[in-house]
Amino acid sequence: MTSLVGQGLALVALFLCAFGTPIGFVAGARRSESALKLVRRLALAFAGVMLAANLLMEYALVTHDFSVSYVAQVGSRATPLHIAIVSLWSSLEGSILFWGLVLGLYTAAVAVLQRRGHEDYLGYTLGTLLAIGLFFSFMIAGPANPFRPTPPPVPPDGPGPNPLLQNHLLMIVHPPMLYLGYVGMSVPFAMAVAALLRGQLGPTWLKPLRNWLLVPTSFLTLGIMLGGWWSYEVLGWGGYWAWDPVENASFLPWLTAVAALHSAIVQQRRGTLKAWTVILVMITFLLTILGTFLTRSGVVNSVHSFTQSPIGPLFLVFLGIALVATVALLAWRVESLVSEPSEDSIVAREGAFLLNNLLLVTVMFTVLVGTLFPIVAEAVRGVKVSVGEPFYNRMSVPVFLALLLLMGVGPALPWGRSSRQQLVRALVVPLPAGLVVVALTVLLGARSGYVLLTAFLAGYALWVTTDQSLRPVRVRTGKGESLGRAARESLWRSPRRLGAYVVHFGVIVTFVAIAVSANYQTSHEATLAPGESMPVGQYRLTYDESRVDRRPHLVAQLAEIDIERNGRLVGELEPSINHYPTQREPLGTPAVRTTWSHDLYLTLMNVGTDGSIGLRAIVTPAVVWIWIGVLVRVVGTVLCLLSPARRREAAT
Amino acid sequence: MNRVVLVVGLLIVVPLLIFLAIGFRFDPRTIESPLVGKPAPEFSLVDLDGRPVALDDLLGRPVVINFWATWCQTCIVEHPILLQAARSYEGRAHFVGIVYQDEPEPIRRFVERRGAWGPSLLDPSSRVAIAYGVYGAPETFILDSEGRVVRKVTGMVDWDVLTETLDSLL
Repeated sequence: MTSLVGQGLALVALFLCAFGTPIGFVAGARRSESALKLVRRLALAFAGVMLAANLLMEYALVTHDFSVSYVAQVGSRATPLHIAIVSLWSSLEGSILFWGLVLGLYTAAVAVLQRRGHEDYLGYTLGTLLAIGLFFSFMIAGPANPFRPTPPPVPPDGPGPNPLLQNHLLMIVHPPMLYLGYVGMSVPFAMAVAALLRGQLGPTWLKPLRNWLLVPTSFLTLGIMLGGWWSYEVLGWGGYWAWDPVENASFLPWLTAVAALHSAIVQQRRGTLKAWTVILVMITFLLTILGTFLTRSGVVNSVHSFTQSPIGPLFLVFLGIALVATVALLAWRVESLVSEPSEDSIVAREGAFLLNNLLLVTVMFTVLVGTLFPIVAEAVRGVKVSVGEPFYNRMSVPVFLALLLLMGVGPALPWGRSSRQQLVRALVVPLPAGLVVVALTVLLGARSGYVLLTAFLAGYALWVTTDQSLRPVRVRTGKGESLGRAARESLWRSPRRLGAYVVHFGVIVTFVAIAVSANYQTSHEATLAPGESMPVGQYRLTYDESRVDRRPHLVAQLAEIDIERNGRLVGELEPSINHYPTQREPLGTPAVRTTWSHDLYLTLMNVGTDGSIGLRAIVTPAVVWIWIGVLVRVVGTVLCLLSPARRREAAT
Repeated sequence: MNRVVLVVGLLIVVPLLIFLAIGFRFDPRTIESPLVGKPAPEFSLVDLDGRPVALDDLLGRPVVINFWATWCQTCIVEHPILLQAARSYEGRAHFVGIVYQDEPEPIRRFVERRGAWGPSLLDPSSRVAIAYGVYGAPETFILDSEGRVVRKVTGMVDWDVLTETLDSLL
């Protein structure tokens, strides 16, 4: 029964998209109000059907209805309720169904939120979104159908989802965030298609575009951060980023999305870089599809990859259509997006924005080449190669330092032309701040050139960021307003400006934390019998005893470790090795003690029959600041999304 | 129509798609074993009833060696495939299971319940598994009649791969 209803819903979604796509384009081309109304309704209906299909699957998962093939594949009576719920996105078919839901919700949100002020583009935008929906509904209704009935006999129990998913709560939130980011990039893409077909980019296009780009970008930021955090807390190698193809796949669209956000600012202020913004937005979407293809098709090898399946070739066909259509559309219409003539000097803020875009795109290409090179090498020479961390680090670290430099220099530069005196003053004043931070870093014991350079650039950028975000307050108090009122009014009237600097502040914090944590790790490995201890950093670790914890879906071996710091007992950690009956390799779960300045990270490598353990301990400074930096960025993004109060639309 | 954009765009896009399509021909999970093309390591083990089985005695026909365990879910899934294959190639190829990090008792129960496709050899200290470079169960090695490793499959063994390889050896 559930199977039947589910398959029916998938077919209805397919029909709604197939019907809505041409109607959207007609609404755009003929500027027909009745067609626009119809396509908006179809968009809402598509979202409703997707929601119903997902709820139905959740119901089947929670009630262990093994007659549904997807439940038979990932369900198990032993898994707790919250794991059963999140199994929706634990495997390929379910994750495509979930993708459909997110796409439906975004499409409906566009149909509702942009119904006024964006009419020139809305028909085309919804048509494009439904065209994307057409592909995903086709997948759900056909090749990746999660509602297929299980061939009889229906099993009494199933294997349960991937143990990695069950191992940590972060895995519950990481995938949805990533999907919200990935799928959300369809909206700016659809708006870019609309702009090209309409042949104009006015303020009624640009402002919504910035918001619709900002939202998925910050979900993506959060998703990438949660993925890194999860891999740090769960995988047990003490790191958070491995340049794994799947990590790269999420990083690529993030880079171009950030570039597009910056070029959109230039477009708004100066009327230039129009075609460039459109191209970046389109590339961002294409990269999300490329990334999904790479990770879902089994073409690249990665810890995340799903098994090879017929889904891969279909994704490639979709990617091919999207790529060729994008190129053709750009070739056909790009000349209609003429930038206004620019008389700006390159040593101005526009120049910094342009450079920022070039650097971000450079990183994107580097990472893309590194990710695709193994495939190309295999195709051309038939050999397996892998591109490792050293390549990525060597190529990207200098570029990121350059971006940090720009984050300091860019906002300090005035827009347009400026006198030499102004320039020198803007650039020289923050220098002492950089030097002070370098001095502090040296006092803390850092000697590495890269770290000191990062410290200098971070200090410089911090000064500029703070100075710029306080500027409106200063101007207001200069006019005689009280400090409190000036601060309130500045925030109230231009939250976007403040938000952008809060984001920069978060990025600076993350950069510094990454530089410090990557350069000053200490680790120690030892075999310990009960009662023995080992030193690491300022800690002394004593192995107490090991015990076994049996739960329905796993058997965990835990080791109790007493933690002493400078001779004082500060706590106990219990790293464990988990055995899942469905997994051939046991999974280690590290135990982490986080402090503001550093993390102590313990992994249990093995438990001997005599009760001795192999223990690895890592002390990494500043890790917590990486996560804090990202959260600050998210807060900044929310500020950016707030509409300025009582401010009339600045006509640009 | 802007020809430059069209040509440059297609020059980037078309080769990319071709390379990605070629990517399908390769399975990233096949970890190249240095043993492929070389004589398989010799072994002499006992089965559940204590009968000795040595690789030497099996040669003359292709040999399928499968490392498996009762705690391994994939092994349960691939079990019917091996049962079917052992029946199809009866008298033409040998099928041998080597138990990987498991005990005789659960193995005996497993075989009683699900049937046997060949002897289950005990490898108490994983010496043979180490010699074959096994890193997890299941792994399957296909040997020609002279004992050379022709193919190694990591993870679940595929019916097509198994039969195609054996047919090419017969």
